[in-house]
Amino acid sequence: MSAQRQASSASQTPHISPAELSYLWSSLALPNNPIRPDGRSPTQFRPLSAETDILPGTNGSARVGFADGTQAIVGVKAEVEKTVAAADVSSLSQRAQEQFGENQDGEGKSSATTTGHGSWVQMSIEIPGYRDDDALPVFLSEMMREPLVESVSSGGNADGEMAGGLKGRLVINRRWHWRLYIDVLLLSQPLSYPLPLLSLTTHLALLSTKLPKLKSLGEEDPFFDDDWDAAEYLYPRSQSRLASALQLRPPVTLLVISVGENVIFDPSRDEIAVADTLLAISVARDGGSDALKVLSIRTVDPPSRLTQPGMPNAENPASLESAAVAEQAVNGEEIPGVWRPRRGGVKRNTVAKMVKLVLQKGGVGEEVLEGLEGVEVG
Amino acid sequence: MPLDTSTTYPLTKLRLDGRRWNELRLLQAQISTNPASSGSSYLAMGNTTIMCSVHGPAEGRRGDATGGSAGSSGAVVEVDVNVAGFAGVDRKRRAGGSDRQSSRIATTLRAAFQSHLHTYLYPHSTISIHVSVLSADGSLLAAAINACTLALVDAGIPMPGLLCGCTAGMSGSASTPRDPHNDELDPLLDLSLPEEQELPFLTVGTTSSIPVGENAMDTDEEEMKVSMLNMDSKVHCSYVETMLAVGIDGCKQIREIMEGIVKGSKRLR
Repeated sequence: MSAQRQASSASQTPHISPAELSYLWSSLALPNNPIRPDGRSPTQFRPLSAETDILPGTNGSARVGFADGTQAIVGVKAEVEKTVAAADVSSLSQRAQEQFGENQDGEGKSSATTTGHGSWVQMSIEIPGYRDDDALPVFLSEMMREPLVESVSSGGNADGEMAGGLKGRLVINRRWHWRLYIDVLLLSQPLSYPLPLLSLTTHLALLSTKLPKLKSLGEEDPFFDDDWDAAEYLYPRSQSRLASALQLRPPVTLLVISVGENVIFDPSRDEIAVADTLLAISVARDGGSDALKVLSIRTVDPPSRLTQPGMPNAENPASLESAAVAEQAVNGEEIPGVWRPRRGGVKRNTVAKMVKLVLQKGGVGEEVLEGLEGVEVG
Repeated sequence: MPLDTSTTYPLTKLRLDGRRWNELRLLQAQISTNPASSGSSYLAMGNTTIMCSVHGPAEGRRGDATGGSAGSSGAVVEVDVNVAGFAGVDRKRRAGGSDRQSSRIATTLRAAFQSHLHTYLYPHSTISIHVSVLSADGSLLAAAINACTLALVDAGIPMPGLLCGCTAGMSGSASTPRDPHNDELDPLLDLSLPEEQELPFLTVGTTSSIPVGENAMDTDEEEMKVSMLNMDSKVHCSYVETMLAVGIDGCKQIREIMEGIVKGSKRLR
């Protein structure tokens, strides 16, 4: 039971003493100017190296390595599959639409061809030392799959192909669709919560994913061009720099912690250990505009809740302290320099501050997406 | 479509990928690829790609039942093989945990390296090897042995010599006794996946130990020893000798390549 509890929280609680936890917390909570153990600024990310198209046997692949040595490889495979249930449903709705009248019929047709199903995207994560049905890999994969599937471009000028988001792109015609398998391999033991690493790698792999060019038309059985050079990107792109910024891109999930009043991005394992709140925020470019939008926010149980509390000198029978401090401790108040496991939920204004930092122009989200666009794809 | 080695080979004497019988596929490798582990390697034999990382020798996990007593005389080697879902041509769905192929490779690797390494130097400790197959195109076991050897060299774990693996097969089903006057079957070296699926083959692992004793300096020729032999398919016993000889010869070539990789690599740390 305790092992399971550990696995579902952010990562195994590192072995840090209450005194160290308290020291870390108070340096990270310094008003407006947190001091991080590795000297980064609150919004600074760890350096990483990335490459794409590393596996010729996949539709798309990427490798990302953080400077601390953790590496992940993602391979994307696509298979053609017959749409069974969805075909019946759409034909039913088609019939219903026909009863309503002529002009609505056209609309029904277009929606039936552009809506896909979330289950067409499958994601599995391999983490050494974990079974693939353990809590951590399952939770992580669902956390990454959800925004990916749900991201639908709301902009009016998005091209027709990506109108239904990724789900819509997977539709070939009413009877056939693509099934996407995203396999994530973490090559080393997770030194920190692996979500940002896996998310960035998946983003790059999806960007480099190509599907064979369709030669058949309309409702025929699909037939593809066997020339791989003619294959089309899953996320279509145009040559011009300006237009590429307006295209739908796969989402990126960022890990954000708050300590005291401060908001800190890309936390290391030690920093997660003292976090008050730990949020996974998924952002993507809104198809129609240059702005970013939040696709999902998940709270992750921070391991600071499982840590052991420190003992103030007053309660320590080995030391002689005034009784006043002991009273304070009994009341459950914080004594500076003594670690207390974090309790309670997330404050509304903390979440608002995090989202604002991610979304604002020139903010963290934009910086990350721009950095990823800088990686040579294809 | 002529995709059958057993039908086209007798005519052309060329295999599916255009190799002759005694040619290896392109072997590329690199060590120290992952700074987070004690030793790591990347190895590509043709289209078979493997990454391997070694942790340890380190204290075994405390919760482990065997951790306390089993390793008292020497280190325990743990091997974990993971064939990625995207490794094959079709995406493979696995029913929970691991499949048969990867657990068989893991068992063979564990047995091979447990007896090969000088484990007595590290009592009460564990050497854990993690093998990820990124792309599978035949000779998986042989490629995994080579990748593990390189990673273990990178980790600095003492061993008597490089353990090299290679596959060898016959160019036909070879189910009848061999006719010495009319030898129509050729042995093949380093099989790829399509060949592996239709032809009998074996995987051989050899090592060359450092010569010891009073005659050590007398022999120039280094002695090769077969330390691992694995065969999953059926073949008539009269062919085994030929296949073994070809496999050992392949191991010798691989050994030279791997020595070059180990000597030529610049240590990052």
